[in-house]
Amino acid sequence: MKKNCIAMLLAGGQGSRLYALTQKVAKPSVPFGGKYRIIDFPLSNCANSGIDTVGVLTQYRPLQLNSYIGNGQPWDMDVSDGGVYILPPYQSAGEKGSWFSGTANAIYQNIGFIEAYDPENVLILSGDHIYKMDYADMLREHMEKGAACTIAVLQVSMEEATRFGIMNLGEDGFVNQFEEKPKQPKSDLASMGIYIFNWKKLREYLIADENDPNSSKDFGKNIIPNMLNAGEKLWPYRFKGYWRDVGTITSLWDANMDMLSPTLINLYDASWPISSRSPVCPPHFTGESAEIIHSIITEGCEIDGHVENSVLSPNVIVGKGATVLYSVLMPGAVVEEGAIVEYAIIGENTIVRAGAHVGAPPDGTDAWGVATCGPDIEIRSGAAVPAGAMIYTGEEV
Amino acid sequence: MKDFHGIIFAYSAAPELRELVGVRTAASLPFCGRYRLIDFALSSMRNAGILDVGVIMQRDYQSLLDHIGSGKAWDMSRRNGGLRMLPPFGLPEYHRGNYAGTIEALNAVASYIQDIPQKYLVLLLGNLCANIDLTEVMKQHKRSGAEITAICADHTPAQSHHRYVVGEDGFVTQVYFDRTDDGEGLPSLEGYIVNKDVLLKMMDDCRAKNLYRFHKDAVAAFLAEGGRMDTYVHHGYAVAIRSVEAYYKASMDMLKPENRRQIFPAGRPVRTKTHEEVSTYYGETAVSRNSLVADNCMIEGSLENCIVFSGARVERGAKLRNCIIMRGGIVGEGASLDCVIADKYCSFSAGTVLTGNAKLPMVVPKDSRI
Repeated sequence: MKKNCIAMLLAGGQGSRLYALTQKVAKPSVPFGGKYRIIDFPLSNCANSGIDTVGVLTQYRPLQLNSYIGNGQPWDMDVSDGGVYILPPYQSAGEKGSWFSGTANAIYQNIGFIEAYDPENVLILSGDHIYKMDYADMLREHMEKGAACTIAVLQVSMEEATRFGIMNLGEDGFVNQFEEKPKQPKSDLASMGIYIFNWKKLREYLIADENDPNSSKDFGKNIIPNMLNAGEKLWPYRFKGYWRDVGTITSLWDANMDMLSPTLINLYDASWPISSRSPVCPPHFTGESAEIIHSIITEGCEIDGHVENSVLSPNVIVGKGATVLYSVLMPGAVVEEGAIVEYAIIGENTIVRAGAHVGAPPDGTDAWGVATCGPDIEIRSGAAVPAGAMIYTGEEV
Repeated sequence: MKDFHGIIFAYSAAPELRELVGVRTAASLPFCGRYRLIDFALSSMRNAGILDVGVIMQRDYQSLLDHIGSGKAWDMSRRNGGLRMLPPFGLPEYHRGNYAGTIEALNAVASYIQDIPQKYLVLLLGNLCANIDLTEVMKQHKRSGAEITAICADHTPAQSHHRYVVGEDGFVTQVYFDRTDDGEGLPSLEGYIVNKDVLLKMMDDCRAKNLYRFHKDAVAAFLAEGGRMDTYVHHGYAVAIRSVEAYYKASMDMLKPENRRQIFPAGRPVRTKTHEEVSTYYGETAVSRNSLVADNCMIEGSLENCIVFSGARVERGAKLRNCIIMRGGIVGEGASLDCVIADKYCSFSAGTVLTGNAKLPMVVPKDSRI
């Protein structure tokens, strides 16, 4: 089945800077924004952009991700001439199988999958970004410009530019230089890690890169610079809108708080739905003593306490007299009577027992941070978890 | 369960539901923030492993078809068997009115019933709000050797109902029709497991005598002929919804945690068609007490004892008490509603005041602009 464009979604990274939250699951399946998991954003963008064939490259702790994606039905990808496919590393006859050794190697190892669809173009996505983007528009520009590769770029401030991969443009508007985290940035166009390649070209560069023993087999470090050096046409696709990398605890918490402001990213826009595989639970219940202010709440929750500036996932319970401020509560989290949770992320099915206190408001010191509890933890009655703490599953608190 | 086939009666228009059934049948009435009444029957069957199910309908079924679709939400979209929607197809030419009784409804789809490969049929009302553990009923039916097992309630319903009197051998000896109070016997929930050959005989006998009622004609004759009918008592919340009053009361009953525990037990989830939804947002001025609120709502006003379906918007200063606001309802700034049932996509402009009564809640028909 010939396709104009298929997507390859890199979902194999550990997300080690999310610590306890990715101890048992891959970063793309970390719950986000109430009803979602991080991977819902790129998958929904694909569905909304008319891309119905997606290979999801998994490696680190893929079990939950596999069952979450399933047959792709929540994203309408259960179609007969495409679909969403989980692609783990595998062994071939006569070869010693190997893990994906880099983003480029992951695609290299799945050349066979891509060839089955004989696509003109391949869209490369990461599973750790929160944004709404029309890939069809990017693809249109990519084809109009006849580019070998089109890279989505975001305008950032010059201070921020030092933290990103920066694209410098020539007079013709094409990219002529790529600098990873430059000390003295020459441009403010940051790569978003979203690429559309002409497949024939990419195939060529992947094979060449694979044979280079000094390569780290990475798109940003190897493939893109190699293409530039060879004089290929690289076009920057300027994206305007909300985009966040949620690779750290602080950025994950920040982006969750952004969900409370529809002016930043409007999830209520029916023309661009973000879909998720959600459990069917009864509507949430607010009890006699519930107080909910500037927060998002979803199905299956039972709220009897005070919830303010917070993001609650399905089946969260907040008991009488409990207080939840500026926090992210993942599915099935429980905050018992009189407990306080502030400036915190509480993992799936973690219980904060009565009277316990997790997190603290910012005090202006550098030591302050968001308190994080991983999944399936019991924070004992009366316990105190300080600001910036990281509690792992299995720890006694 | 390979031996059991489900039949759900979803044709009933129940005129006492008034405006609520102007655009649908009782079985597709929206309930408890996100469900339709038929979700209970479908989920009870699904949770007992019954995936081959026929849904008998007659008219005004567009809303029902739209809700059920292929039956995917209940895992009933199967390669073999699965869900079948059954409009009338065996009805005599002269018949133009509503089905006069359950037997007539069954006879209208007689060829479907005849072709059912399973030995036992599970019959449930599409407008019954109950989460029945059919696995247990099925076990009991096989064990007891009864030809019919009647599912009964553990409490007397407020509405008119039939009662079964059980003899010393455990089988039903007597049926009392249209009771309204406590008395001898067990109140019927009009759910049954019946052997297919027995049901076919009941249908055939009734057709021959031009009779059409399940209880007063078929069951009465079955018992008179010495048929073996067992009873199974369902412990937990159960009510068949046939009137606005019953609908309103059952809705408000869902605000009590003990009723929700019985209707939504952990092991037997109630499944329904899922929409693309986002979380509900509560603004700076929101108040929500003793209420059930579905996803995708914007709440800036105040709710007390309310059930709010998805997509509703309650603006600043709006006060809702004892209300049911169905999908897409909009309540403008400072509006005040008490004991109002607003059907889908109603909007109430700023400052509107509407008051019903718990005994006679005010029903606002679908798409009204006030």
